[in-house]
Amino acid sequence: MAEKWYELALRLSKFYGGKIMVVPKVPIRGLKDFAIWYTPGVAAVSEKIKEGGADASFEYTWRWNSVAVLTDGSRVLGLGNVGPEASLPVMEGKALIFKYLGGVDAVPLPVRAMDVDEMVNAGKMVEPAFGGINLEDIESPKCFHVLERLREALQIPVWHDDQQGTATATLAGLINALKIVGKNIRDVGIVLVGVGASNIRTAYMLIKYGADPRNMVLVDSAGILHAEREDLDKLMLEHPWKYDLALKTNGERKRGGIREALNGADVLIAASRPGPGIIRKEWIANMNKDPIVFALANPVPEIWPWEAKEAGARIVATGRSDFPNQINNSLVFPAVFRGALDARARAITDEMTIAAAEELANYAEERGIREDYIIPTMEEWDVFPREAAAVAAKATEQGVARRPLTYKEELRNATELISLSLNMLRSLVEGGFIKMFNGGID
Amino acid sequence: MSVNIREATMDDMPQLLDLVLRLKRLNAEFDPLLKTLPDDELRKVAEEYIKTAIEDRARYLVLVADADGKIVGVLKADVRNRIFYVPRKEGYIIEFYVMPEYRRRGLGRTMIDEAARLLRERGADVIVAEFPALNQIAVNFYSKADFRPLLYIYARESQQP
Repeated sequence: MAEKWYELALRLSKFYGGKIMVVPKVPIRGLKDFAIWYTPGVAAVSEKIKEGGADASFEYTWRWNSVAVLTDGSRVLGLGNVGPEASLPVMEGKALIFKYLGGVDAVPLPVRAMDVDEMVNAGKMVEPAFGGINLEDIESPKCFHVLERLREALQIPVWHDDQQGTATATLAGLINALKIVGKNIRDVGIVLVGVGASNIRTAYMLIKYGADPRNMVLVDSAGILHAEREDLDKLMLEHPWKYDLALKTNGERKRGGIREALNGADVLIAASRPGPGIIRKEWIANMNKDPIVFALANPVPEIWPWEAKEAGARIVATGRSDFPNQINNSLVFPAVFRGALDARARAITDEMTIAAAEELANYAEERGIREDYIIPTMEEWDVFPREAAAVAAKATEQGVARRPLTYKEELRNATELISLSLNMLRSLVEGGFIKMFNGGID
Repeated sequence: MSVNIREATMDDMPQLLDLVLRLKRLNAEFDPLLKTLPDDELRKVAEEYIKTAIEDRARYLVLVADADGKIVGVLKADVRNRIFYVPRKEGYIIEFYVMPEYRRRGLGRTMIDEAARLLRERGADVIVAEFPALNQIAVNFYSKADFRPLLYIYARESQQP
């Protein structure tokens, strides 16, 4: 199965010479118009920004709609540290989704950065050119340090999709899953298997959303995380976030592995390594009534959905589009940035992220949630403007918006921008400027 | 939960030993020259070392933080003579460890203050603390407790590559 996609991706990436390009968005009636778009006219725009400061650059340039997809290539997909050049096709893909689903002009920006300081400097140096920075595929715990320092230093939103995108989609799915089983986030026992970028952020988001950290148990390759584990001092020095969670969570002082953690738990969120067989059926069977199981590893979930169901799971979600309930960060980042950019937000706060998750959940609920429909699918296009609207409205409410927007205003605005981007691509293909390729997808 | 700070007895040994071993492993994170002995050997040496200190109260101080029977912190200091300097005696803290979940609530500071009091009773008018140079957390802790850098200890391997 995957081999077919590999072969196609290789052939087509070479055929098209990558996936994105820059196209002017102003008419050029003749070379004389360069006097407007370039010198001498542009000098006035430059002066205007010099006088008006950074905020004016959002009005007179593409900055209001631009995002850097910044990476050092240190943890690309499941491939590990492939380096910046090899990460470029992935960042291009990200930029393509940004444009297609969010109408955002995203620029792939792999950099040769050796450590946290260099990565932070890279972010600081490119800030003037962009309305936001999407950090991508940076190894843990480096990604936590880089995100925290850049969020603090920059006046534009900085987001690490591997953490926040996945965590937001997970929260959205969990909100609806809990509604179906009739449980409250404040009471449930939650087990997180895999303590990497996404699950650490998920843990913090769940806590922010009302989960009791004492009812959460985190399990990594060394077993259940608890306050007396031998490696805790090492974590304190290298990974303060994981250390902090080790102290806050697991109020019952459970010890052991995944089996012990799952005993009597209500919710499992696994984001560890490709299965099957990482999570065993008999462990699911020992969970509380109506277990909720998210097995998010790609390409193969930690346990096959049908196995989890056979073991008694009431609701199962995975990271895959060929099973129901796909927890996918592509449902999140294009819309979160659409909303943040339109509000000219200075940051993407945790509350804005939660607003996005709630809107995703509401959208699915309005259509009727079931065991096999807890989160919208990628085909449900109109969820993106709604999410953007929720994010922009929250940014406005929290005072991080340079340009305050109501939900309604941004809903109209985002719908327009996203459909514009879809229509533009369609017309380029229909006009034959972008060649259609034959075969392959059947 | 109440935490009682008191001098150690031999009954505290197994738990106390565990905390000292944790400290040694933490120190090893900062420099290869602080690499510890193999586990069983380390345990044996450390046990002997603590035993000596507990038994000789004139020359050593071993403090523990006792949370309802559980040892959650340890501080061990030597009373040393200062041949050339005044004051003539110092209390030299070499081992100081608090379990992670008992940190950030002032327990370390309370232990230091209690150690200072008891060392003064043993004639030491100066308190000195030794820790890995790269341990920034310790630097911050001692600075906040009004310590200042006094001596530097530099090291290298005797044979250079």
